Amino acid sequence: MARKSNQAYKQAPWRRQIQSIGLSLLPVVTIAVIVSLYLIISAQAAAAGLQIMNLHYEEEEILRTIANQRTQLALITSYSQMHKQAEKMGYEVAPESNVHYVTIEGYQGQSAVLFAPPPGIENDFGPLVNELYNQSLSNWFLDTFFTASSNSIRGDS
Amino acid sequence: MKKSSVSRLNLIGVSLSLASILIIFQMVRIQNSTKHQELSRWADEEYSYAIENYYPERGNIYDRWGRLLAGNEDVYEVGVMLEYVTNPTTIAQTLDGVNQLNYKDIFTSASKKYDPKKSVYAVLTDFLPSGVIDALSQIKQDYELTNPYGRKENLPSLRGVVWYPHLKRSYPENSLASNILGFYSFMDREDGIGYYGVEEYYDNLLAGTPMETFMPRNPYLLEELPNVPAGASLVLTIDREIQAMVEKKLDEAVEEHEAESGTIIVMDPRNGEILAMASQPRVNLNQYWKYEEEFEGKTPFNRAISETYEPGSVFKVLTMAAAFDTGTVDEETIFNDPGRFEYGGSTIYNWNRRGWGKQTMQGCMQHSLNVCLAWVATELGKEDFYKYLQAFGIGRRTNIDLGGEEIWPLSTPGDSDWYPIQLATNAFGQGVAITPIQLAAAVSAVANDGKLMKPHVLKAIIQDGKQYNTSPQVLSVPIKPETAKAMNSMLVESLKEESSIALVPGYNIAGKTGTAEIPVEGVYGTELTNASFVGWGPAEDPQFLVYVWIEKPESSPWGSLVAAPVFSSITQELVRYLDIPPEGSEQTLIAKES
Repeated sequence: MARKSNQAYKQAPWRRQIQSIGLSLLPVVTIAVIVSLYLIISAQAAAAGLQIMNLHYEEEEILRTIANQRTQLALITSYSQMHKQAEKMGYEVAPESNVHYVTIEGYQGQSAVLFAPPPGIENDFGPLVNELYNQSLSNWFLDTFFTASSNSIRGDS
Repeated sequence: MKKSSVSRLNLIGVSLSLASILIIFQMVRIQNSTKHQELSRWADEEYSYAIENYYPERGNIYDRWGRLLAGNEDVYEVGVMLEYVTNPTTIAQTLDGVNQLNYKDIFTSASKKYDPKKSVYAVLTDFLPSGVIDALSQIKQDYELTNPYGRKENLPSLRGVVWYPHLKRSYPENSLASNILGFYSFMDREDGIGYYGVEEYYDNLLAGTPMETFMPRNPYLLEELPNVPAGASLVLTIDREIQAMVEKKLDEAVEEHEAESGTIIVMDPRNGEILAMASQPRVNLNQYWKYEEEFEGKTPFNRAISETYEPGSVFKVLTMAAAFDTGTVDEETIFNDPGRFEYGGSTIYNWNRRGWGKQTMQGCMQHSLNVCLAWVATELGKEDFYKYLQAFGIGRRTNIDLGGEEIWPLSTPGDSDWYPIQLATNAFGQGVAITPIQLAAAVSAVANDGKLMKPHVLKAIIQDGKQYNTSPQVLSVPIKPETAKAMNSMLVESLKEESSIALVPGYNIAGKTGTAEIPVEGVYGTELTNASFVGWGPAEDPQFLVYVWIEKPESSPWGSLVAAPVFSSITQELVRYLDIPPEGSEQTLIAKES
C-alpha cells in the first residue's frame, strides 16, 4: 500500500527531467543574457568611440576646408584682382567734379566689423549635450520619482 | 542496451568536461605566463595610444573692414610608406618635376629598404596644392585598377605613395601691407615663428598653444578628445584700400623723384589708429625667403618704425608748439630776422642764407626760418625745450604694436653727447634723430587738442568666440588744447599764404614742410636731403594726419617740391575713402537741386 501511495505522488519522469534541465540551464541562460547585454553595450560603446574619432577627424578636415576656402575667397577678392576686374568692366576713378556728398539722416557710416559677440554676451543655446545623457541611473530614478512627487505635493499645497 | 547508452553518455560528458577544463587551464596559463605579460605590455605601448601633435590653426589677420590680409590654405605633404612600395620607378616618373623634385632623388627615397625600426616613411615633398593631389590621386586609382595591390612588377603602380594635409600661412594680398604684417616662416613646420610687424608682435596670440596628446586607439578608452583652440584672429586698423592707394603713390613718388626710398603714414590723430603705413622696399610675403634679396644690408623691414633720421623743418611744429604753450611767444610776437644766429659757438643760417626781416611766428613757420626757430628755442630755454620734446615722445619708443621699432636716444643737457649748439639746431630738426612714427605721433598731438594718442594697428582680437575691441590710449598731453588750436590756425594760414602745393581744394589743411640735410661722414651741406611733409585735416575737426618722407630725392632737395605734392595727391583721394565732404559741398548740392 505504502509503495502504491508513494508512487501516486511522484512526478512523471519526463517532467523531472525538464525541471532538472531547466534548472541547470537557468544560470547558463542568465549568464548568456548578461553577456549578450554586455556585448551589445560594449559594441555600442566601441561604435560610439569610433564615431567620435571619425567626427574628430571630420571636424579637423572641415576646419581646414573652411580656412582654405576663406583664403581662396580672399585671393579672388584681393585688391589687385578687384582692381583688374573693375577696370575690365569699364569702371574708372570718379573725377573730383563728379563726387557729390549727400547728408543722410541717421546714417552713421560703415559699421565696424564684428566677427564674434563681445565678451559678456553668452550664447543661449544651453549645454551641447542634453543633461539626461549625463545622468546616472540612480539620479534619474531619484529625479523622476522623488523630485516629481515632492513637486506635485508642493503644487497641491 | 540501457546500460551501454548510459556509459556512452557518461563518456561524452567526461570528455567534454575534460576538454573544457583543459581549455580553461590553458587560458589561465596563457593569461599568467610571463610571455603574455610582455606581449600585452608591448601591445599597450605600441598600439593602445598614438602620440599626436596638434598645431592649432594660426589666427587670421583682417583689415579694419574684415578683408583677409593673412590666412591659411590647405596644402599636402607627400611621402612613401616604404613597406607598401612595389614600383619605385613609377613613383619617380610620376613625381618628376613636381615642386622641383627630380627623378633621382625620388627614386632613391622610394627605393629605401623598409625597416620597422629605422625606415618606415620617407618624405618626398611638401606644400603641394590640392589640385596636384587630386591629379595624383586619380593616377594612383587608375594604376590600382589595372594593377591591384601592385602585384605585377611590369605594370605601373603608385602603391605606397601617401599624402597628409596641413595648413600653410597664406597672404592673399602678396606684398600689400607687407611692412606692417611681417611674415610667418611657414616653411619651418615645427618651429615656424613670426618675423617683423604684426606677425612678430602678436606671434604668441596668433600661434595659439600647440599640444602633444596621447590619442587612444582603443575606442573604449576614448573618453575625451583634446580641444585645441585656434590662434586668436586680429582685426587691424589698416584700411586695405587706403593702404593700396598710399603704396601706389609712394612708389610713383620715389620713381618720379629718383629717390632712394620713402615712407608714408596715414593715421587718425583722434585715437592713434594707423590707417595706412607704406614703406619701401616690400616683399611678397608668400615668398618671404626672398626677403634678403629685397632688403640688402641693413635696410630695415619697415622704415616707418625702424629707421631713424634727422627730420628737419617738420620738427619746427613741436618747437613752436612748446613756445606757444609756455607763452614764450604768441601770434603777435615779432622776430626781426637778420639771416644768421650766433649760438653756442656756431652760426645758424636760413635755408636760403638770407635774412627775412620782421616776421610774425606764422611768417617764421611759413618761410621755415631756421634762425627764427633757433631764437624761439633759446628764448624758451633748454629745460623747457627738452621737457616738451620728451612730452612729445621724442627719444622714447611709441610702443606701436609692430615688431622691430627702433629709436635714437634724445641727448639732453647734462648728457656727455649734448652741446649747447644742439638747442638751436634741434629747434629746426637737425642734430636730433627720430623715426617717422615718432614724428607722426608727436605732431598728431597738435592736431588732437594737445592729446598724444598711442599709435597702434590693432583694432580687435577674436579669441574663444569673443571679439575684444581695443581702446585708444592717451600717452601724454604735451600741450594745452588752446595751444593746439592756435597752432592749427597758424599752420592752416601759413600753408594758404604760401600757396603751398600741399593744399587740397575744398579742405582746410594744416601742415609743415621739412627739408633736412643729410650729413655725409659728419659733414652737412651736401645735396642729399630728407624731404618731408606732415599735414592734417580738416583743420576744424582733424580726422586724418598724413606724413610723407621721401629719402634722398634727386629731382629736387626740397620737401615743398617733393613731399608736399604727394601729400596733396594722397589727401585728395583719402577724403573720399573717409567720406569727408569738402567745405560747403552740401550747400552746392542744394543749390544745384533747386
